Amino acid sequence: MGSQKRIAKELAELVESPPEGILVKLADESNLYTWHIYMDGPEGSPYYNGKFLLNLTLPTEYPFKPPTVSFKTKIYHPNVTNDDKGSMCLGMLRADEWKPSSRIQAVLQFARQLLAEPMPDDAVEGRIAEQYKNDRKRYEEVAKEWTRKYAVDS
Amino acid sequence: MSASVSASASSNLPSDARSGPLRRLSQLRAYTQQHFSSSQPSSSSSSSGTRLSRRHTLSSRVSWFSPASTGPDSSQQLSPVGSRTSGPCPESEPPSTLARYSSVLFPSYRGLEIDLRPSRQSETPSSSPSNETGGSETQGTMARPRGSSQALNARPDLEGTSPSASAHLHAGALDSSDPVMSENPSTSSPRPKQKATIRFFPHQDTHQSSRPSLPFIPVSRTLPSDSCIIRVGRYSERDGLPVANPTDPSDAPVGFKSKVVSRKHCEFLYLNGQWHIKDVGSSSGTFLNHMRLSQPNMPSRLYTVKDGDIVQLGIDFRGGEEMIFRCVRIRIECNRSWQQQPNEFNKNTESLIKNLGKGDTADYSGCRECSICLGSVLRPYQCLFMAACAHVWHYKCVSRLIHTPDYPMFQCPNCRAYTDLSAEVDDTNDFDEEEVNKATPEDKRDSSEASRSGTTSPQLEAEPVPTGDEPRQGSLPVEAGLAANIESMRLHDMDASEAARRPPPPTSNNDAVPPSAGNDIPGWQSLTQSPNALPTRQSLLRADTPVRSESSEDNPLTPLNDSGPLALDGRAAMP
Repeated sequence: MGSQKRIAKELAELVESPPEGILVKLADESNLYTWHIYMDGPEGSPYYNGKFLLNLTLPTEYPFKPPTVSFKTKIYHPNVTNDDKGSMCLGMLRADEWKPSSRIQAVLQFARQLLAEPMPDDAVEGRIAEQYKNDRKRYEEVAKEWTRKYAVDS
Repeated sequence: MSASVSASASSNLPSDARSGPLRRLSQLRAYTQQHFSSSQPSSSSSSSGTRLSRRHTLSSRVSWFSPASTGPDSSQQLSPVGSRTSGPCPESEPPSTLARYSSVLFPSYRGLEIDLRPSRQSETPSSSPSNETGGSETQGTMARPRGSSQALNARPDLEGTSPSASAHLHAGALDSSDPVMSENPSTSSPRPKQKATIRFFPHQDTHQSSRPSLPFIPVSRTLPSDSCIIRVGRYSERDGLPVANPTDPSDAPVGFKSKVVSRKHCEFLYLNGQWHIKDVGSSSGTFLNHMRLSQPNMPSRLYTVKDGDIVQLGIDFRGGEEMIFRCVRIRIECNRSWQQQPNEFNKNTESLIKNLGKGDTADYSGCRECSICLGSVLRPYQCLFMAACAHVWHYKCVSRLIHTPDYPMFQCPNCRAYTDLSAEVDDTNDFDEEEVNKATPEDKRDSSEASRSGTTSPQLEAEPVPTGDEPRQGSLPVEAGLAANIESMRLHDMDASEAARRPPPPTSNNDAVPPSAGNDIPGWQSLTQSPNALPTRQSLLRADTPVRSESSEDNPLTPLNDSGPLALDGRAAMP
């Protein structure tokens, strides 16, 4: 459980000076390993004005194993699976890409960057990626609609 | 002019990547040799040839007391000391070490020359009357252009000659500045290290649920010349025993004991500063990052390979389970020379290490955190682990990355550079990857070295020391500088009472100096400037104590906790 110290440190940093558009909370105050991330849709993207809830789960081997990030809020995005898992494909979170020196803050910023700029070549939702590449307008419409439907507090 | 040269050259001293005091010691050793040999014309003209050769055999490379040898009795007393000091340095040390160290130190020597020359000039009339005063100076100035003209052919010669041979060369040839000067060009011309190096590591594809690929010992190749080609194919008895990691440049073919690798499978070429791969008509294909380069039995065009690329040779043969039917997956490591040369980062690390023991006055600009626990690595008495790439962690944090099934291969979690932790400690390469291994033996050697130098000092002390004795004084800075380097001590603090009497030497404060091996020089200068030999000696003696007692546990001078884990600073030990 040597990871707790580091996780606590990272959490404290993130709570103290949160990156733009990202709010971090523990899902359960007694458990350091599951975080709730509230992410604002970046300006200029179809997700703007949306507030997305993400789950970040840290393995006990953290930082030697990568955390996993999943969207709890439904999102229309080529890099997020369109199911109830909402798992996200981040290059840096792959086991062979992950480095212990990577930080959660970087992960979150990368995730938010992905909202602004999807990576269709690295997509998990091929259909959305296809649409993103070929019919950007339609993609943005749907994404906006989904954002309004799922990610905006009524 | 030479001052500016030394300044600029010292900024890319490879030694900066090194932090071990021993390293600095060896640099000093090299330095003294140069110093010695360039001043040799003056001494050889005044002294007998037999004494010279004797000195060379005794302390062929470590001629600490070269200036002192102008006086016959001092040389007799001192040369045994010198030879003893040279003890820890194995004679078998490959020649290129000397060449490189010398080249490293040479610029600083030049800078020094300015300061030393006046004193040498003034000393010559008294110690060796037959000597022309300007001799050494002319030698220095004359030799310089020659050195640059020799720039091209110098290194091959040097790498071929053994240190002792070159030392004898010094002794034999009156024109002894030649070897020295020929060592110089390596600072200006590209280093041998910049030759194209590529390394192959086994790669296990974690993505696919495929069977593990063929295990193999990591292979390293440094091209003797850029036009060489590294051929990769199936291991064959005809090629002789494969040399996995030759220390010398080699383009020996790389063989894998797998049936799915063709005899002539692919080739690695180095073109325009970039590594390329080419399939040479393999039957089962060469894959670069999962992309097949060519049709079966068809050579491919050249593809560039980058650091971290995965090259796969052949495809698993499904008919057999044996290892010999597995494909080979290679992770390429290349274009890493920037990492092995002095750069901002590893210089910072050096300063970090240097300053660990300096307490609150230390320059912590180079400090950083352990990337695993995000804590500072500057905690006192914390065991640290530094990889060859100069990344540092707490040993506790990084240990589970060290003791993996892959051991002794260690992959830096920060930059992914691979290090073979079981590799022999290699003094020959100034920026090679064995830093990690080095730590322990070096420490041991340090203390032994220190105690050795400690034994020399009483001897020095015992001698009658007239302050006006120029030659001996010339020798002292060498010794003092050595000690300063060994113990990372700040002699100037000890000198304080002396320094109070005269204007403080401008560069005497270590902290004011950028973290480089240039640090040695200020100490030198200040010591050379001050004619007070005795205080230096005393400080030396005192300086010696903490280090020697460091090895014993009940150290009465155990530094205060707050002064850091490597508290060898004199001030830490003394109130």
